[in-house]
Amino acid sequence: MVEVEAIISWILRLGVLASAALMIIGLFAGPSVIWMGVLVLALTPFIRVLMTGICFLGQKETSYFLIALYVMLVLVISYVLSA
Amino acid sequence: MMDLLIAAAIFAFGIFAGSIGAMLGLGGGVLMIVFYILALDLPAHQAVALSLLAVIASSSMGGSVYIRDKMTNLKLAMILETCTVTGAVMGALIAVILPVSAIQLLLGAVLIYASATMIKGVKSEGVAAAPTGGLTVKGEYNDECTGERVCYSAIRMKLGLVLSLIAGCVSGIVGIGGGVIMVPIMNLTMKIPMKAAAATSNFMVGVTAAASAFVYLNQGYVDLNLAVPSVLGIMLGAYAGTRIMGKVKSITLRRLLGFVLIFFALILFMKASGVLTW
Repeated sequence: MVEVEAIISWILRLGVLASAALMIIGLFAGPSVIWMGVLVLALTPFIRVLMTGICFLGQKETSYFLIALYVMLVLVISYVLSA
Repeated sequence: MMDLLIAAAIFAFGIFAGSIGAMLGLGGGVLMIVFYILALDLPAHQAVALSLLAVIASSSMGGSVYIRDKMTNLKLAMILETCTVTGAVMGALIAVILPVSAIQLLLGAVLIYASATMIKGVKSEGVAAAPTGGLTVKGEYNDECTGERVCYSAIRMKLGLVLSLIAGCVSGIVGIGGGVIMVPIMNLTMKIPMKAAAATSNFMVGVTAAASAFVYLNQGYVDLNLAVPSVLGIMLGAYAGTRIMGKVKSITLRRLLGFVLIFFALILFMKASGVLTW
């Protein structure tokens, strides 16, 4: 079975590399591509929390799944409050 | 030509801030804000927006390496995250009714105290301390510098949780990321070895930064031309930081963090007196 740590490392690396690639391409292709790079970067931590929760659910570690769910919920609340 | 020079300066400073941030678990956001405001004279909201992106970049890049190398304690990070994110929301809500400058001065003083403890420090870190019962989190990692397998248990979990809540709250109020407070809490209070504390904190700071970053993105405060060299520099620096951290002694990291905490305290005093504003 693939470890949770390996999956999270892979997600973070993918997010960082995709964002960097979009930003570099955007220097030539225009600001909308840079903007996509910025969005991918800003979304990476959320996807990380979401996937951590799913991984722990898959491993039947319900308490850590609930923790990830709670963190997601607070993040959404904080976004709604500040927006 | 001037634009290229500015981009090069941001890129170079990003490498510096990213490596310090990833090595010590701080994210590097405050270093970037100070650089944007003092060296580039950017408006505060633009500097904060760019620094939040920088913290996400540093946390994600550093985190991908640390978690693969088992330096990050994932379960501990998740448990403490519940407190720091809750605290951050509470902090943002109560900031309006609290004397912010008094809290900045107080946090500055706490950081000076933590810095003295870090620099004076113990010669070696106590590992595998006996937990005091109740909720316990264990961890282990290979210290590349000494070649030893370091096993540890977090102690004083309840106190750690309360302090994390306060840390989240305070960072929400004073606008300084949680890393600078979380590493001393984990290392000094919960007796997590310095390297695991730094890696775990580095992992946590990205989430809190992302929550605030979207608000700034929506407002259009991100200067895309400056974001590219900043983010790329930070990513490169953070990667280098993770490599350096493995090879450096824990005690050296602790001392370095001790000196960086003094810098943060000075920044807080400058904010409290109105010299710096963001």
